[in-house]
Amino acid sequence: MSNMIKKADAFEIVNHWTTAISFFLLVVSGFGFLFHIGQVGSVFGGFSQMRVIHNYAGLVFAASLLLSVFSYLGEALIFSGEDVIWLIKGGGYLSKTGKVPPQGKLNAGQKGFYLLLLLAGIVISASGLTIWLMPGIRKWLLLSHLLHNISFDLLLIAVTGHIYLATLANPGTFRIMIYGTVPLEWARKRHAKWVQKMGF
Amino acid sequence: MSRKALLISPELCIGCRGCQTACKSWNQLSAEKTQNKGTAENPPDLSPNVYNRIRYVEVPSAANPVRWLFVSQRCMHCGDAGCMKICPAPGALYRTKEGAVAFNKEKCIGCRLCIGGCPFNVPRYDAKDKIAKCTLCSDRISAGLAPACAKTCPSGAIRFGDRDAMIDLSKKTGYAKVYGEADLGGLGTLFAFRDAPAVYGMEEKPAIPESVIFWNRILRPLAYWGLGAAVAASLLHYVAVGPKRDEEVKKDE
Repeated sequence: MSNMIKKADAFEIVNHWTTAISFFLLVVSGFGFLFHIGQVGSVFGGFSQMRVIHNYAGLVFAASLLLSVFSYLGEALIFSGEDVIWLIKGGGYLSKTGKVPPQGKLNAGQKGFYLLLLLAGIVISASGLTIWLMPGIRKWLLLSHLLHNISFDLLLIAVTGHIYLATLANPGTFRIMIYGTVPLEWARKRHAKWVQKMGF
Repeated sequence: MSRKALLISPELCIGCRGCQTACKSWNQLSAEKTQNKGTAENPPDLSPNVYNRIRYVEVPSAANPVRWLFVSQRCMHCGDAGCMKICPAPGALYRTKEGAVAFNKEKCIGCRLCIGGCPFNVPRYDAKDKIAKCTLCSDRISAGLAPACAKTCPSGAIRFGDRDAMIDLSKKTGYAKVYGEADLGGLGTLFAFRDAPAVYGMEEKPAIPESVIFWNRILRPLAYWGLGAAVAASLLHYVAVGPKRDEEVKKDE
């Protein structure tokens, strides 16, 4: 391939897959708990074993979420007027002809997704730890149980959208989480401000 | 099989606590060191080794300066049980054909969420982090026997039988309102009260916590509806609008 630009470093890619795999384990076991799915329990070696795996996968998820701050938070916190217009226009996803303002390394939707992931991720980790480590105190159990499930629903929906947008909806995007690089022209079309800033 | 229930009549209880002993004996629960609180109440709380106990309530008034009430405390075997709703481990808490809420320690995963779901502060956890509570002696009643506590009670303060019959009995003997007749899908531990429940140290309207009901009705179904909707919306977008293929994407200006 000719002109490539590096969009993600090795740390980011490894950490992304750490988050993704732990999240996947947590969702599958979570569904097992929520709906008493015996087959899921069996895959994890029984529900007691599944609880242990769920708890420790939660620790991995929380740790990788905290590490992701170094990769994305700085960028995600910068919101410009162009980002607002991008969001109003639905990121150009509503039609084939939609035009959106130039974006930085993360577009407005990605920034929003990251902030939601971070916030809901902190809530779900903290409430999970509370159920795990501060057992038996009723009001803490109930509050944690409520928050754990609210953030679960939010994350489930948001991450489904994230997976679609990063694969089927945008051919060429997925390779960032494998090779870390994208063609320069591809990047110029979607992250013009960032490409410019990088000096291309 | 008709639903079975206990009928507790605090006014008939003489405070002998034979029910506590019989319970320990049948369920093979070890004794534990307790504290003398200076009243007839002992032990001070339910525990993994105390499935039932008699609460001692003193209600002095001008008319009756020595009104003592002995109120049995144990699992209420709710028809609509908060503990069963919130429990994430299938089979850990289960309903017997007699309507009792029983447990299987081998399936309990020790998460303690049932403590949050229970309106009556009943579930306790043993040293191995497994649930422990009254099972309505489900192993006895399945064999046609009365629970150990009811069997041993010498004064008729704890009676056991078909739930409908227990409600009838209570009403016929002059207790117009039976505590637990309708609340929480009907309790399997009924109380014949002469006064307001508060006098006996019980809640007027026991209920499963709002957050657990909200979770069960909204948040839990939202997990699969939300996931399904997100997948459907993605596929719909793919078909109706289509992906942003590179050759079609304009440079953003």
